[in-house]
Amino acid sequence: MYVDDENSNSDLTARVIPCLDVAYGRVVKGTNFKQLLDMGDPVELAKLYEQQGADELVFLDIKASVDGQESALEMVRQVACELSIPFAVGGGIKTLDDVHKFFHAGADKVTLNTMAVEKPALINEISTQYGSQSIVVAVDVNHEADGSLAIYTHGGSRRVDVDYHQWIQQVVDRGCGEILLTAMHKDGTGSGFDTDLLAKFGADFPVQVIASGGAKGPQDFLDAIHAGADAVLAAGLFHRGEYTVGEIKSFLIDNNIKIRKTGC
Amino acid sequence: MNALVGRSQTRVAVIDLNSGNLLSLQTAIEAAGCELKTVQKPDLKMLSDFDVLVMPGQGRFAYVMQQIKDLGWYDFLLEWVRNGKRLVGICVGMQVLFEGSDEDPEATGLGLFNGRCHKLQHPKTPMVGWAQLNSYKLTMKDQFAYFVNSYAITECPFGTAKVNYGSSFCAAVQRGNLYGFQFHPEKSGQFGRELIKHVCG
Repeated sequence: MYVDDENSNSDLTARVIPCLDVAYGRVVKGTNFKQLLDMGDPVELAKLYEQQGADELVFLDIKASVDGQESALEMVRQVACELSIPFAVGGGIKTLDDVHKFFHAGADKVTLNTMAVEKPALINEISTQYGSQSIVVAVDVNHEADGSLAIYTHGGSRRVDVDYHQWIQQVVDRGCGEILLTAMHKDGTGSGFDTDLLAKFGADFPVQVIASGGAKGPQDFLDAIHAGADAVLAAGLFHRGEYTVGEIKSFLIDNNIKIRKTGC
Repeated sequence: MNALVGRSQTRVAVIDLNSGNLLSLQTAIEAAGCELKTVQKPDLKMLSDFDVLVMPGQGRFAYVMQQIKDLGWYDFLLEWVRNGKRLVGICVGMQVLFEGSDEDPEATGLGLFNGRCHKLQHPKTPMVGWAQLNSYKLTMKDQFAYFVNSYAITECPFGTAKVNYGSSFCAAVQRGNLYGFQFHPEKSGQFGRELIKHVCG
């Protein structure tokens, strides 16, 4: 769908999305969801990524329950005043009232993970009240040692008894607008996105799929889009300065992918 | 633009229809150097107090139209346009400038443009993301804009930008001082900021 072709019936571009995991007001990065490293100030990094050509940003407040919600809301307000691109926020959202607070602070979308599993009706409520475009469900999936696919919550720390395929169908039926698919077995490993998982969605899948987990270099982004991802998300390789968003996007453009060009 | 000559700052009123967050739009209008006020209800004094009226809209077509009526904007908007003053509708705020929408067939729009909104012909709706504008206008030509919509105006002789998503639709319309943008200029990066400066400044 994103191959640049004159006969295409869609002008939509594939999105490149830096993810900022926030804990205690700082951007952090862990390996396989553990061992947090300080990566900088969220507002400053957000501005930097916008300048580099990021199409959207995702902020995940991974210590939200410990840190308290007010600091997260203040960060969202600052980001909303500084950015002119859309952004999603997630972490610590438990009720429709929490969702309202984040939208009121200026977020464009909310991301649900733990609460989507624990209280799936919240997906319907958000979708009905704010529209499906406002809700992203973060599906953290892990390839278990026995070869099965397991769903995790609580920042990847708790395995839940939910069937992966049924869960994907359910979040779509309940009205989510996008799925943020994190392959936990790839996260932080630098072995590329899980293209096999992505390929199973197909071109007619009714919502957009954001690929996450495992990016090491430009080729991984290209492979994910070819496999069927609508957007590609990465954290560490941007935070560590290994690649700029612009470098990734230039590579994709050179490989005939429809990408939003900036700075021209 | 002649009416604005000699005034250093354009006076812009953003209509708050209780349909979503206005922070990004307000920030963008202020960054454009305009004097900004956010208003919930109209007042005939606004005809002389403001140069530009910006009407953002999120949510369903019928909800936005109901807010326009309940808050007393319906007749005021028609009067504003009759006076040749500038009105900028964004997203559903553009759609309600037309006669109606398949989203809520029983709801009647403002009818300032002829035509109706139809559902996008694409398996993935809403359309969420960036698309390159096909436009002859120098302010929009080949620029990338951020869209969030499931419905759109497919035909309009006053279309100034088009985009394909399943089929072609109007990304922007303009007739004199009446502007509509289906995309979100306030979320469309540097291009969007400059466009807001152009229509508000």
